[in-house]
Amino acid sequence: MLRFDGVSFGYMSGSAINDVSFYVAPGEFVALLGENGAGKSTLCRLCNGLLKPSSGRVKVGGQDTRQVKTSVLSRSVGFLFQNPDRQICRNTVSDEIMFGLENVVASPDERRRRRDEVLGLFALDGDIDPFGMSRGERQQVALASVLATKPKLLILDEPTTGLDYRECLSTMEIVSRLNADGTTVLMVSHDMEVTADFAKRAIVLSGGRLIGDGPVREIMKNRRLLDEASLLPAQIPALAMFLSELGELGKPDKIGELFSDAFTVDDMVELTERANRAPETRQ
Amino acid sequence: MIKIKDVSFSYEGNPKNALTNVTLEAARGDFLGIIGQSGAGKSTLTRVINGLVPHYYDGVFSGDAAVGGRATLESSPEELARSVGSLFQDIEGQLFASVVDDEVLFGLENFGVPRDEIESRVEYALAAAGISDLRTRAISTLSGGQKQKVAIAAITALKPEIMVLDEPTGELDPQSSRRVFETLRELNEKHGVTIVVVEQKIMMLCEFVSRLAVMNGGRLILEGPVASVLKNAEKLEDAGVNIPRVTTLALRLREHGLYDGEPPANIPEAARMMRTAVHASL
Ligand SMILES: Nc1ncnc2c1ncn2[C@@H]1O[C@H](COP(=O)(O)OP(=O)(O)OP(=O)(O)O)[C@@H](O)[C@H]1O
Ligand SMILES: Nc1ncnc2c1ncn2[C@@H]1O[C@H](COP(=O)(O)OP(=O)(O)OP(=O)(O)O)[C@@H](O)[C@H]1O
Ligand SMILES: [Mg+2]
Ligand SMILES: [Mg+2]
Repeated sequence: MLRFDGVSFGYMSGSAINDVSFYVAPGEFVALLGENGAGKSTLCRLCNGLLKPSSGRVKVGGQDTRQVKTSVLSRSVGFLFQNPDRQICRNTVSDEIMFGLENVVASPDERRRRRDEVLGLFALDGDIDPFGMSRGERQQVALASVLATKPKLLILDEPTTGLDYRECLSTMEIVSRLNADGTTVLMVSHDMEVTADFAKRAIVLSGGRLIGDGPVREIMKNRRLLDEASLLPAQIPALAMFLSELGELGKPDKIGELFSDAFTVDDMVELTERANRAPETRQ
Repeated sequence: MIKIKDVSFSYEGNPKNALTNVTLEAARGDFLGIIGQSGAGKSTLTRVINGLVPHYYDGVFSGDAAVGGRATLESSPEELARSVGSLFQDIEGQLFASVVDDEVLFGLENFGVPRDEIESRVEYALAAAGISDLRTRAISTLSGGQKQKVAIAAITALKPEIMVLDEPTGELDPQSSRRVFETLRELNEKHGVTIVVVEQKIMMLCEFVSRLAVMNGGRLILEGPVASVLKNAEKLEDAGVNIPRVTTLALRLREHGLYDGEPPANIPEAARMMRTAVHASL
C-alpha cells in the first residue's frame, strides 16, 4: 500500500527526512512516533505527494508519487492536517464536506449520500459555521470530510489533539472501524495511551531517521528506543517495566516476572487473579 | 492572589452560560490544575483571570474577580498583563513575530525588563523550552510542537507573578511535555509564581500541581488537593475526564476484591499497589 525506499527530504533549514525505508501492507494500522521536529508531519506530506522526495522513492498503491498528480493521489489518500484550521475553508460543515468530495466523487447524488453518512457518523449539524466551533469540534469536521472520500490510505497527523477524552475515544473508534473494513491507517500521535490502544505497529523517527519499527507492544517496552525518541511508554507498560526492572530489594523479583508481559488493565487484573488463585491449586 | 467570586458569563450571540456561579481562590504560590471536557468552560475561566473576559470577549458578566489585588473589571487586560502571563490555547494566534528570538525579546522589552537582564532571560527561556538551537529560525518554518515551545518560552522569560496556561502541551511529545511542567514547577517553587494550568494529560498534571479544579457544563464541580479530587472517580467520569489508567486499574482490582487502598498517584505507587495485591500469594 505504502512504500518508502531510501527516502530523503530537506527544507531550506536543512535535512528533515534522512534515508527512510519501510513498507506498510494494506489494512495495517501504524503509529508514527517521535519527538517534536522529528519529521513526522514531513513524512506524512511525502505520502500524499504534497512534498516529493529529494532522493529515494515513495510509492502509494504501486504508484510513484513523483509520477502521479497530487490531485489523482488524493482520490485514494485521505489526509488530516495537524491543525484543522489549515484544512477547513467553507462556511458550513455541509459545504466543507461537499468540497472535499468534489474532486473524488463524480455523481452529485452520491456526494450528498456520503455527506449525510458522515454527518450521521460524527453526529454533526451540517448547517453550522465551523469557525464558531471549539477546536475539538473543528477537528472532527476536518476528519469527517476526509473520511467521506473513503480513502484506501488514511494519513492522520495528530488526530486527537484538542479533543477531550470522550471525543478522542469516539473518533478513534470510527477510525478503527474503518481500519477493520480494510482502510490502511498511518497515524501520528503523541498520545501513547491512544497508540497503545489502537495501533498495532509503530514506526519511530528521530532527527529525520527511522530508529524503530515493530509491534507497538515491543516498542513500548524498549526503554532505550523510547528515550532516544523523547517518548514515554503508556501507563500499563510503564508499570510493567517498573515492576520488572526494580523489585522490592532493588533487583528483579518474582512479581516483576509475573507482570512482565502485561500491556492492558485487563492483563494486570487477570494476572493478579491468577497469582492469587495459584496457591490453592498447588495444595 | 486570585479571587473569583460567584462569576457567571455568557458570550454574546451564545445564549448558553459558559460559566455559572464559579467561585475559586488561589493563594500566592499555588499550583492549580484545571480539567474538564470540551466546552466545560476551562478556557473561559482562564480568560476571567487575565481579564480578556469581559474586556475583549463581549457578553454578560456577573460576579467579582480580583487578581493580584486588582478587580479585573476595573483594570484593563494590559494592566493585568503586568502581573499575569497568559498562554492561549490557539498558539498560532498568539505568535506574532517572524523570528523566534524576537518573539521572546518583544515581551521582555514591553515588560520593562532591564537591558542587562534581557539576554540571560532569553537564554534561560529558550533552554528551558529545549529550543536554543531554533533561536534564529523563522517561526513559519517550525513544526507544530516547536511553535508551541516558542510560545511557552515567550511567557516563561517574563517570570510574571501569575501564569495562566491553556493546554500548554497539546502538541508536545511526551518528554517535552514533562520538561514544560518541570520548568513550571521550578518557577513555582523557586520564584513563588502562582500557576493556573488547563491540561488534558491528567496523569502528568497530577504529579505536578498541588490542587485540582474540575469543570463541567460551566460549573466548578470539584476542587481541592489532588488526592482528594481523584477519589471521586464517578463524578470525574461523569465530567468526561480521562482518569489515569492506574486509577482504573485500582478500581478494577477493588471490584475483584484484590485491593482496598487508595488509588495510586504515580507509577511507583502503582507498583506498590500491585505488590500488595499479589503479595499474599507469593
Ligand atoms: N516549511 C518548512 N521550512 C523549513 N523547515 C521546516 C518546515 N517545516 C518543517 N521544518 C523543519 O523540519 C523538521 C521536521 O518538521 P516536522 O514538521 O516534520 O516535524 P514533526 O515531527 O511533525 O514535529 P511536531 O511533533 O512538532 O509536529 C523540523 O526541524 C522543522 O523545523
Ligand atoms: N468566542 C466564543 N463565542 C461564543 N461562544 C463561545 C466562545 N468561546 C467559547 N464559547 C462557548 O462557551 C462554552 C465554554 O467554552 P470554553 O472554550 O471555555 O470551553 P473549554 O472547556 O475550554 O473547551 P475545550 O476543551 O474545547 O478548549 C462552550 O459552550 C463554547 O461553545
Ligand atoms: Mg508535526
Ligand atoms: Mg479550551
